[in-house]
Amino acid sequence: MIYIMKVLMACLLAMWLSLRFELDQPRTAMLTVAIVMQSRTGMVFAKSYYRLLGSIIGILVSFLLVALFAQERVLFLVSMAIWIGFCTAGSMLFRNHQSYAFVLAGYTICIVGLPATIAPELTFSIGVTRISEIIIGLISASLISDLIFPQRIGDLMTAKIRRRFSDFSDMLRAMSIEKVSEESSKYAAFRIVSDVFELETFRASSGLENDASRNYRLRLSMLNAEFMQVSTSFHSLEQLLRRQNSTGHTQVVEALFSLYQLLKAVISIEDRSIINEVEARQLAMALKDFRTTLHQQIDLVRKALPDGLDASERLDFDSGAELLRRFVDELYVYTTTYASLGSDAVTAAKDAIAEHPPRLGMHFDPLAVTLAGVRGALSLAAMACLWIFADWRSGIEAITIGIITSTLYASSPNPKKTVKQFIFGAILGSVFVYICNFQILPQAHGFLMLSLAVAPAIVIAAWITTRPAVATIGSGIFIIFLMHIGFNSAYSANPITFMNDAVADLFAIATSGILYALIDLTSSGWSRRRIVKKLRELVVSACLEPLPQRPSRLETRARDLVQRLDGGHRAANVQDKQVIDCLLSTLEIGRAVIALRDQMNEVSDISIQQQITDCLKGIAELYTSPSRRNQIYAINSINHVASALENSMLVIKLPQFTQHQLLTMLHFIRCALLDNDAVLPPHNPNVTSREGAVYAA
Amino acid sequence: MPREIALLDALVPTLLIAFMISVLLSWALDWLFSHLGLYQHIWYRSLFRLAVFICFFSVLGLMIY
Repeated sequence: MIYIMKVLMACLLAMWLSLRFELDQPRTAMLTVAIVMQSRTGMVFAKSYYRLLGSIIGILVSFLLVALFAQERVLFLVSMAIWIGFCTAGSMLFRNHQSYAFVLAGYTICIVGLPATIAPELTFSIGVTRISEIIIGLISASLISDLIFPQRIGDLMTAKIRRRFSDFSDMLRAMSIEKVSEESSKYAAFRIVSDVFELETFRASSGLENDASRNYRLRLSMLNAEFMQVSTSFHSLEQLLRRQNSTGHTQVVEALFSLYQLLKAVISIEDRSIINEVEARQLAMALKDFRTTLHQQIDLVRKALPDGLDASERLDFDSGAELLRRFVDELYVYTTTYASLGSDAVTAAKDAIAEHPPRLGMHFDPLAVTLAGVRGALSLAAMACLWIFADWRSGIEAITIGIITSTLYASSPNPKKTVKQFIFGAILGSVFVYICNFQILPQAHGFLMLSLAVAPAIVIAAWITTRPAVATIGSGIFIIFLMHIGFNSAYSANPITFMNDAVADLFAIATSGILYALIDLTSSGWSRRRIVKKLRELVVSACLEPLPQRPSRLETRARDLVQRLDGGHRAANVQDKQVIDCLLSTLEIGRAVIALRDQMNEVSDISIQQQITDCLKGIAELYTSPSRRNQIYAINSINHVASALENSMLVIKLPQFTQHQLLTMLHFIRCALLDNDAVLPPHNPNVTSREGAVYAA
Repeated sequence: MPREIALLDALVPTLLIAFMISVLLSWALDWLFSHLGLYQHIWYRSLFRLAVFICFFSVLGLMIY
């Protein structure tokens, strides 16, 4: 409710200012307000900043194009199409508000440049007016959202972090022997991915919000990276238990669980998960103690293992215990960082010297980005052809709206659905603007009545944008309504022009919707396969690229790829599940491989190093071209190394600890590979799984 | 002071330059304040910031006109 009032106030303020300054198009300022207004102050600042940046670049480029090709319409449109393609591709590359800046640089050129094909001498004044309008809009939006009941991102982030931690420890506490066979945590994995990126968005925006929160931005991104690691470890642990449970090593599972129970006892306070930073500090202390005693505990349980177990089952237990130890370490680090959020100023100095956390960088699929660029250029080409050949009077209008929709939603998780909503919003907006322009506005006198005339539509649209499920309808209403609202400095509306333009708008939106459906980069099977392939390549590079590699880099890259697939709001269908499986197994194997390679460097024996390198090549081969044969080959090479290691015990070339570590790691990778169906093509009935089992033994 | 300045051959109101300078000045002051921790003593930070900005802008504007 407050938010809606804020939108209305900012809009009216922008309208009043631009009328006061006698600018040509108050609607641009109002549109700017409608676009940048968001419920959080920091987000408004961030979006404003990028909108300004994008507009300025767009205007400069359109000056350039007009100066070069003003006389030649076709040449002008071709170079414009190239520019728009470039901008669409850019908007796919970046996240959030940066991507928005590209969108703007793209479509500003339509608004400023296209009228210039008719009257080139006006370009400069159109550009200057537009930028002034936009600045007025941005100032009003920022002022209103910062001064009147500001809602800080910092508070929201704190709440998010707290909820995430307690959710996560709920998940830890819920795990038990009975539940281990279920695959419930996979859906949690998808949520975790989107959570991580959401927090990253907030973190990026909070930089512009002058508030205490910006003092611990660095710690937030550390927190994010640590959270990714700890959740991967947890998943690996769970997978390992599930695997052993299903292969009938119940004694091993029980032994590991008896260790896990101890951890469970530590992370609960009064039989619930911890909820704030103060409790986190207690937990960090407790985990620290637990970490030091864990080693003894593991020894105790290992001694208590029944005698009937063979060597491979003992290895199972060891790799499980090793994983648990790693998990506890990471959980300790994560909890410490979380606890440090509670005490801001004290540790702020420490951050400055701390190691810079890995950035959530850009990892993308060049082909997909190129295709998005082509799609943007195509939709311009389609509208432009229609404009030129049909000599259509609303051609410019159509091109502008078409470009807006086809660039604005390029990076949205499901553009087809978004455009459907948008077109619905556009229809509603046209109806509103008709009523407003031809029924109400002619009778309005003075600023007060003008405000009353435009207020209802703004309120309705703002109200719709507060509903996440239908927010795009709201923005559709806003864009169409404010683009056609019938006054500049004076009343100017003509029913015939308006109807022409409204039809052109709907037509253009539909066209870009069709193009989204034709070149579908986000939800088709093709794009899923590309992502799976990219994920596999990450494992290959983990196997082959030179050390040192940081596991956190693997994490962020893998998750970034998946995040682009879908906003993570739905994780229902089978194909999505396949991608998640692949993500999790990539993380699992990739991290194990990196750990193995780190450990390998400590081995001085050349022949063993050579063998491990061979076996890494085998794994890389498996992930480059997954097939049963390569899987068997990789597993065989692991077996080979393992037996070589066991033999070397006789010769005693290695410290026993290192040798043991290597064995458990190899064993872990072997189990994971055996279990892993996600990366492989569907089972080939001719090669039965029995064959695999024989090799595995 | 001239009311308009030629910036790359485009006539720009001097007030715009004044606006930009005051934005920069208030950013600098803002940075200084938050580093010295002075904001702890201020009740409504954004209002304060706006007021500081208006002070800068009015002083510069009065110098022009």
